[in-house]
Amino acid sequence: MTCIIVGGGRAGFQAAMTCRMLRPDQAVTLIDAEKETGYYRTLLPQFMVGALPEERLFFPTGNNDPLLTVRTGVRVKTVDCDSRSLTLEGGETLGYDRLILAHGGDPYLPGILAGPPCHGIFPIRDLTNARRAKAWLTDHRQVVVLGGSLVGVKTAVHLRQAGLAVALVVRRGHILLRALSPESTEVIEAHLRGLGIEICVNAPLEEISASGGAIDALKVGGRWLSCNTLLVATGTAPDTSFLEGTGLLTDGKLIVSPGLQTSDPRIFAAGDVAVISSRGEKISPNTWPQAVSQGRLAAENLYRAVPTPHRDMTRINAMDLHGLAMVILGPPVSGAEVISHARADAFVRRELFLVAGRAVGGALIGDITAAGTIHALINSQRQLTAREAGLIRPRTENVIRFPEQTGRRAALILSPKRSSL
Amino acid sequence: MKVIGVYMDRCLGCKTCELYCGAERGSEGKTLLAAVQETPVPRPRVRVEGGPGGAFPLQCRHCLQAPCLDACLTGALHRDEKSGMVIIQEERCIGCWTCTAFCPYGVIYPSCERKIAVKCDRCLYMEKPVCVDVCPTQALEVMELDEIEELLGEKRQNTTKALAGVGREGIRILDIGR
Repeated sequence: MTCIIVGGGRAGFQAAMTCRMLRPDQAVTLIDAEKETGYYRTLLPQFMVGALPEERLFFPTGNNDPLLTVRTGVRVKTVDCDSRSLTLEGGETLGYDRLILAHGGDPYLPGILAGPPCHGIFPIRDLTNARRAKAWLTDHRQVVVLGGSLVGVKTAVHLRQAGLAVALVVRRGHILLRALSPESTEVIEAHLRGLGIEICVNAPLEEISASGGAIDALKVGGRWLSCNTLLVATGTAPDTSFLEGTGLLTDGKLIVSPGLQTSDPRIFAAGDVAVISSRGEKISPNTWPQAVSQGRLAAENLYRAVPTPHRDMTRINAMDLHGLAMVILGPPVSGAEVISHARADAFVRRELFLVAGRAVGGALIGDITAAGTIHALINSQRQLTAREAGLIRPRTENVIRFPEQTGRRAALILSPKRSSL
Repeated sequence: MKVIGVYMDRCLGCKTCELYCGAERGSEGKTLLAAVQETPVPRPRVRVEGGPGGAFPLQCRHCLQAPCLDACLTGALHRDEKSGMVIIQEERCIGCWTCTAFCPYGVIYPSCERKIAVKCDRCLYMEKPVCVDVCPTQALEVMELDEIEELLGEKRQNTTKALAGVGREGIRILDIGR
């Protein structure tokens, strides 16, 4: 009756904690390829610039649990669904009663970086690389951040706050291409430029120049940028190679039901590796709160006859970009109606994307009033009333408005028998 | 577990609770006069919603399945085992505002100047929550959840009586607040 969890990121850790809490008699083994596990990956940029001590990176944990085994620095080689076992790279075989796959993604590196090893290049993903980058940055203060994703933008801001010279390079389009509309991005880019960050858009990485085995410049979009550090934040890709041949993959992706169950009812998936199939869509929110809630739900669903579906499929992200608050409520949808409120002088832009009267996404920049309430409205998947749509333009701090005529009412729903009379 | 109950028919929307919460819990001076002169302006942890004809003081509900707990990127938010309340450890908060985007009641507030999120902790270390103490109409009251169960039982009894009064056909749904 052992439960094995592959992956020690937020989803895997949450799944392990929930398993132990719900089923105190069941042993849990957590396997992670990294040498260290149980840390806040989202805080790595702050850690790299020395704004956060290393001890603050780790999850608070309780007393030693004899039924929880954490094995780090170990990769899974194969999974055998028939015999309910998995084989580790060292050759060891472990049997399981239930399996949760939550091994997240490996950093995706552009092909050009696969050349000869060069000092000063670090992916922003794990603690080992963050430690190396931190040490390197102490005397290499001219940084290029490659990738305009949230991680890239956040890293650029923290580096700049720490006094480093920073250029943010985006391969195509604008920064936060998949998360924000061009209008919202303009606000963010203007703010970042105001902070002193150089932004290079539509600038694919073409060439790297090294001197003495260390990077000293790179060519992006036809121009050379002088730098001595390159931080790569070009996204992650889940490693599903060890699942090939198991029947769990569809087109190389680990597709799960809304209850996070794979095609094998004894195997569940959570976090960045899981692609949730819901209402004809394939959703992979890839956010920290989703990793937590999915990890918990996977553990709760392990022994349910009918797994409970995951309710919140939103891709909410929030951050503070050195004084500019931002909440991303969902990516732009082509053809959606847009309602917005902007105060360019104050770096404020609030927008909602509506499809058939229902809010499906949006962004709040500079003024995040009612973010949680709007998030709840998106989750409700119902048509917005004019009053609710008015939240995009906050006149007061009030976010919940009562109907003009208060008081209790009763509704009488007739039975078919009475209706026919 | 204790909760703050509201008598909606007594709330005038006067915002006294907001004023005193800001002064007592958000200011250095702890008086209204001192609080209004401080920078940054002290922020209350309770907010009066609605308006004339229906007002309601709203503060953190300490939800049993609190979305903010899942959202916290740093472990600053946690549930206090003894009181059952959701508490924020200010020294761990980095002001990323993710929790504010996950609170469906909108009662976790960004304090941009202090770079931390602030929320009601029901004045955990005080004898009585300030908002309850100062309400001029006693619209707020600290209650035990068990007491609420009793009230709900009473309501169920009334519902049963109401059903008996309208005959046995049809389903009667009471209290639809639309």
